Amino acid sequence: MEKKKNNYVGLIVLAIFIAFSINPIFGLVGVFAVIFWLKKNPEYLTSYLSKIKTLNEENPSGETIDVFSLENTVLAEKNIQPSAFNDFFSQTKIRLKKRKKYLHIALNSTLEEASEIISLLPSSDRILIEAGTPLIKIYGARAVSQIKNMAPAGTYIVADNKCADLAEREVEIMANAGANAATCLGVAPIETIDSFIEACQKFNIDSIIDMMNVESALAVLKKLKTLPDIVMLHRGVDESELSKEKQIPLYQIKQIKGNYDVLVAVAGGDDIREVQRAIFNDADIVVVWKNFYQSSGDTAQLAESFLKEIG
Amino acid sequence: MLNQRSKYLQIAFNRSFNDVKGMIDVLPASDKIIIEAGTPFIKNYGQMGITALRDWWSEKIEKPGYIVADLKCMDRGSREVEAVAEAGASAATCLGLAPIETINEFITSCGENGIDSMVDMMNVEFPFEVLQKLKKMPEVIVLHRGVDENKLNKEKQIPYDQIHRIKGTYGKVLISVAGGETPRDVIRTYFNDSDIAVIWRSFYESPENTAKIAEDFLKLIK
Repeated sequence: MEKKKNNYVGLIVLAIFIAFSINPIFGLVGVFAVIFWLKKNPEYLTSYLSKIKTLNEENPSGETIDVFSLENTVLAEKNIQPSAFNDFFSQTKIRLKKRKKYLHIALNSTLEEASEIISLLPSSDRILIEAGTPLIKIYGARAVSQIKNMAPAGTYIVADNKCADLAEREVEIMANAGANAATCLGVAPIETIDSFIEACQKFNIDSIIDMMNVESALAVLKKLKTLPDIVMLHRGVDESELSKEKQIPLYQIKQIKGNYDVLVAVAGGDDIREVQRAIFNDADIVVVWKNFYQSSGDTAQLAESFLKEIG
Repeated sequence: MLNQRSKYLQIAFNRSFNDVKGMIDVLPASDKIIIEAGTPFIKNYGQMGITALRDWWSEKIEKPGYIVADLKCMDRGSREVEAVAEAGASAATCLGLAPIETINEFITSCGENGIDSMVDMMNVEFPFEVLQKLKKMPEVIVLHRGVDENKLNKEKQIPYDQIHRIKGTYGKVLISVAGGETPRDVIRTYFNDSDIAVIWRSFYESPENTAKIAEDFLKLIK
C-alpha cells in the first residue's frame, strides 16, 4: 500500500515533466491539477511528508524529487510545519467519512505534554486531535492554533470549547484559531445549540453536540432545527471517578444512527477495552484521553493498537 | 470577600483584549463593581486574560479588585478552578447543568483554592433540585437567562420568585441575576432582593459609552 503511493508520486512528477516538455501550458495545468487534488485530500500530503522524513533519515545525502518536496523536507526535518501550507489547507473543510472509524485523542493537561504526545503518535488520517476544555480555558484560542501547528499538516483538530451560551462568538474564535470542529453542550438551551450549528455551517467547520449529563440524546436532537454533524455520548471525568456505576449508554448509538444521519462519537476513557466496546457498538469516533498516572507513551500505544484493531 | 449587605454591579467583558483595556480605563473606580471575564473572553485569551483584567482593575481602584472568571465549568471541576485561581480570579462559575459530582468537586476545590464558588442556573428548570443534592452550598447562586435564549425566545423570564425562596431556605447564600440588560431590569433585580446584577450587552455594543453607562447603573445601587 505504502509502496504503491510512492510510485504514484513518481508517476505524477514524470507526467508533469512530460507535459512541460510538450507544452509549458500543459505543464502548468498539470501542476494546478495536482495542487487542487492535494487541497481536496490533504491526508496524502501528510503521509507523503512523513515518508520524506523517513527517507531522509535513511539517506542523509538527500534524494530529492523536486523543489516542492525539497522545501517540505527541510521544514519537516526541523519539525516545523509549513505555515503557508497550513493556511492554505485550513481553508478547506476536512470531511470525516462515514463507514470509517476514527480515534479522537483529547489533550487536557499542558501544551508541553500535548507536543510530547503528538510527537509519539503514529501518522494516520484516522486520528483526530482535540484541544481539551482545560487547555482552552488556560491558554485560550492559542491552545487550538498551537496544537494545529504541532500536528502533521492536514490533521483534523477539534476544539472542545463546550459552548453553553454566546455560540456564534465562540465558534468564530475557534474557527479562526484553525479548528475543524467545535463542541456545544447538549444541556445548553435549545436556542444556543441551534445558533451553534448555524454558526458552524457559516464558518465551515463541523458541529459536535456533547451529550454529557443529557438523559435522552434523541429528545434533544428532535428539538433542533438542523442536525449537527457529530453527536457525542459522554460521561464526565468527575462522574467516572466518583460514581463508578454510571455507564455510557452504548445502546443509544444504534438508536441515534437509526433515526438520524449523523456520526456518533463515544467519549470512552483510557484503555483499549473501552475502545473495543465502543467500536463494537458501532460508534464512528472513539474519544480517549491520557490519565495523569499514565505516560504519554501509553497513549501512543493505545493509538497503535486502535489502528491495528480497525485494520 | 463580598459583603452580604451590599449590592453589586457585575460587568461582563467579552470584547477583544485592547477594547477591554480601554473600557476598564474609563470605568468609575468603585468597589461596587465586579469585573467578569466572560466565557468567550476566557476561551480566547485564557489565564493571561484573567490576570490582565485583575491587574488593570486593581490598579484602577487602587486595591485588589474582585474578578469573576465565568468558566461555566462542566467537567474536571478542580483542574479548571486551580488554573483560574492561579491566574488571580476571586471567583469562578460552574454550570448547574453539570453532573452533581462535578459541582461538588468544583465547590470543594474553590474552598481549597480560596476563591468564591458561583453556580450558574442557566437552563436549569428547578434550581432547588440541584441545590438539595449538593454536599455544601456555593457562595453565590446565579439565576441566568442565556443570551441566545433571550435573542430567540422572548417569552422565557428570569425566575425572580426563586430569589426569596432560595434565600429563605438557605440563608447565607448570595444571589446574582444575569440576563436583564436595561436599567429597568436592574432595578427590578435589586428590588427582588438579589445581591448582584450582571450586565454586559450595553457595554459590548457601545464600548465608547462605557463610563456613562456604568455611572447610570451605579446610581441604581443605593
